[in-house]
Amino acid sequence: MKPRVVPFGESALLVELGDEFQEDVVGWARAIADHWETVARFGPAVPAYASALLRFDPLKTAPADAERVAEAMLERGQLTHVAGNEPRRVIEIPTAYDGPDLADTAARSNLSVERLIALHAEREYTAYFLGFLPGTAYCGRLDPRIVAPRLERPRERVPAGSVAIADGQTLVYPLASPGGWRLIGRTELAMFDPSADDPVRIRAGDHVRFIPL
Amino acid sequence: MIRVGEAGVRSTVQDRGRFGHLRSGVPTAGPADPFALAAANALVGNAGDAAGIEIIGTPFRFSCDDARVVAVAGRDVSLATRSRLPGWGSVFVRAGQTVTVHSGERTRYAYLAVSGGIATTPVLGSRATYLPAFLGAPLRSGDLLPLGEAEAGAEDAARRIEPTAYDGQVRAIAGPHHDRFEKDAVGRFFAARFVVEPASDRQGVRLGGVPIAPRAGELLSCGVLAGAVQVPRGGAPIVLLADHQTTGGYPVIATVIAADVGKVAQRQPGESLRFYRVERDEALDALRAERRALDDARASA
Repeated sequence: MKPRVVPFGESALLVELGDEFQEDVVGWARAIADHWETVARFGPAVPAYASALLRFDPLKTAPADAERVAEAMLERGQLTHVAGNEPRRVIEIPTAYDGPDLADTAARSNLSVERLIALHAEREYTAYFLGFLPGTAYCGRLDPRIVAPRLERPRERVPAGSVAIADGQTLVYPLASPGGWRLIGRTELAMFDPSADDPVRIRAGDHVRFIPL
Repeated sequence: MIRVGEAGVRSTVQDRGRFGHLRSGVPTAGPADPFALAAANALVGNAGDAAGIEIIGTPFRFSCDDARVVAVAGRDVSLATRSRLPGWGSVFVRAGQTVTVHSGERTRYAYLAVSGGIATTPVLGSRATYLPAFLGAPLRSGDLLPLGEAEAGAEDAARRIEPTAYDGQVRAIAGPHHDRFEKDAVGRFFAARFVVEPASDRQGVRLGGVPIAPRAGELLSCGVLAGAVQVPRGGAPIVLLADHQTTGGYPVIATVIAADVGKVAQRQPGESLRFYRVERDEALDALRAERRALDDARASA
């Protein structure tokens, strides 16, 4: 798929950079969102794996003008450069590996529980983007040996702080919520604090390590 | 201060939404029916970013410590002081006077604005309540909420705004993922008469009736917004509303124009809904017409 800009209603554009997940495209999507918010200043943006939602007020900014700016961001060079200059942050998540899906998920991959824990904890992950609930950072990639699909039947209630894996990625549930990922551990660290200036523990682009307790 | 005497089933403080933390996964929240809150605010002389109260399940009863202008808007709503007053108009109330917000059988959301606005402390730049993340809480009887400085007085009563026609006919722009569906699926979508399912809430309105099968069941999650019509595997569409998550993984066949999102939100389970395809110019005309109606109401003092 060729990168393109498509209208999303009358008050937003969706920049689509590809159909498949690729590590380098995530940074590009984020750079586009940064540029939209801090340089063009037309409104908020939501980057994801391979896209960026660009919002604007169509009574203030003509949709054609918004489109022109968005199209220009498909020219890649300068924006990826900006993304590469983000200060490198490593977020450590102290984790008790005692989740209810630990044994099943290990057995599924023909691994011991200890081995699965070691494989999960030894990698440094990248936070791709935040979504789902406030502070939920989608991080990857997992070691291919512990890749497993989501649960067939999602749980109605996953406790806050649950450390989970699915589809080659890992995350921490910031709040109690329904969820279909495999729970392998938990952390006491708050992922979302609305009273803080920066309310989330993990920002997109951060590096993330899980430290076994 | 405003004193809540009776809080309805679930009432929350809402301003137009929290737009500054979408990238942290914080939803906008705000009113399910944005124009109704905007209208109520305009009727009492408030700025567009003032907070009011979204009421689910009436009666909602309140009084204010000092004289204020109040207004209620939404589907089939009215106010009662000593007499019953229609919604979508401003009313002057004296200090301590008890006011009741009433609604009809078809009302899902009623919006109350008080001159000066609800002045609770903003969280992350907004007064919008988002219950799943404990940003704000449902109002309870006995609650006292601060009000802002009011500029409107008795002379500002009896302003009117033409109520929204909650007729189940909403305008939508195709896409952004319409080309991921079979061509006839888009045609089917705009020809279908859907029925609102009971499992509809501030996150989204679920539609039954005609399944619209997506070509691809899921796609890489992308940012979404209120009005987006997602089609999950199985083909029953969901129209996203104020509390929707910031990203979604289902293809979006069409997007309800901003001016008509409230018409979707206010449909009751069992009621029908139809989508009419429009282009962006018509969506902009509708937004301009809304803006004019709000400005006229503010200027009519």
